[in-house]
Amino acid sequence: MTTTQPTGPSGADEEAILADITAMIALVLEDDGLGDTEVGMETRFSRDLEFESIDLVTLAGHLEVRYGREVNFAEFVASMELDDIIELTVGRLVEHVSRCLKSAGAA
Amino acid sequence: MAIIDVAGVHMHVQRLGPGGGRPGGDTVVLLHGLLTDSLASYYFTVAPAFAAAGLDVVMYDHRGHGRSGRPATGYGLERFVDDLGALLDRLEIPGPVHLVGNSFGGTVSFGYALRRPDRVASISVVESEPATASWARKIAGLLDRVRHEMTVNETEALDWIATHRGGHTARLARAAGRLVRDTAIAAEVTDCDLVTEDALRSLDRPVLAVYGADSDLCEQAPWLGSLLPRCRTVVVPGHEHSVLVEAPGRVRDLVLGWIAENASPGGGDEDGRDTGRDGRRAAAVPVEVNVP
Repeated sequence: MTTTQPTGPSGADEEAILADITAMIALVLEDDGLGDTEVGMETRFSRDLEFESIDLVTLAGHLEVRYGREVNFAEFVASMELDDIIELTVGRLVEHVSRCLKSAGAA
Repeated sequence: MAIIDVAGVHMHVQRLGPGGGRPGGDTVVLLHGLLTDSLASYYFTVAPAFAAAGLDVVMYDHRGHGRSGRPATGYGLERFVDDLGALLDRLEIPGPVHLVGNSFGGTVSFGYALRRPDRVASISVVESEPATASWARKIAGLLDRVRHEMTVNETEALDWIATHRGGHTARLARAAGRLVRDTAIAAEVTDCDLVTEDALRSLDRPVLAVYGADSDLCEQAPWLGSLLPRCRTVVVPGHEHSVLVEAPGRVRDLVLGWIAENASPGGGDEDGRDTGRDGRRAAAVPVEVNVP
């Protein structure tokens, strides 16, 4: 079992990022909430969480507040088609955030 | 994200600016379409590239749409035009702006440019037309059909859309159904002063009008080009109404070219322009937040 040390964003591992993003997803869904839905790395924003594209814009705002500009969602999705963006899995976003934070920490 | 109160309605605004501490160049305001559309159609397509090209990018959700407020009434076209003017005031944007309008967003752009040509540097519209009598007939018919389908046959209609257009489009349609059922938009939106051909002949702002070759609206191109004093029309082969989201690279290049051609004197950042999607990173610039 791994123990996560809360050493700030650059030390956060994927598990901690997944927990952060899960909390943000619940905020984005507002009244609808997450209900019994469990969010994991394979969870898809569109199909499993019923996200609309505007919900992803809101999520991008939460990401920036939490992690700062090192995690740039707009840049992450810049090379994707809109259809691919809404089919994203939570895992791909977690990996992106993790990569951004590691490179920011190494800089 | 910022929520800005405009005439009692909370408007969801997103702003992207050139990163790296560079000063923003001209401001471009992106206006989305009716019912199923939101600022996401820009946020995930052309907006980051516009910011990377040195522009100050403002996007917002129209009243009733996306994350903006949904009042029960107040959906005449003039109200959407008022919102744009009020937003420019609230954001204290100096100088004329470039307007980019997709579909209904273009109709709002024409309305604003006719009202305040002094505040408009250029207009780029995608699959759009001014609020003429023929526009009003078309939109009224469309809204009536949507309202009927989403009131009488909502489940069947959404199932059909989910099967033929995918789950995401079906969710957007469900939100559009709520808008037409719960508000007066269908009855009100065409209740406005219609635009005459003489008014279009007098509009001296440069207009770029882009159409999908397979769209019904494409026949507007020669008509618009013959009336507007400074108009360029472009027809994109192989596309219908959704040119913006299906051919974002083409739209990006056309609009950036048009804005560069019509940049405000001294207001731009010409040397730093970079039209590539992979250009300098776009950083969100915080906007004043004012929630009453």
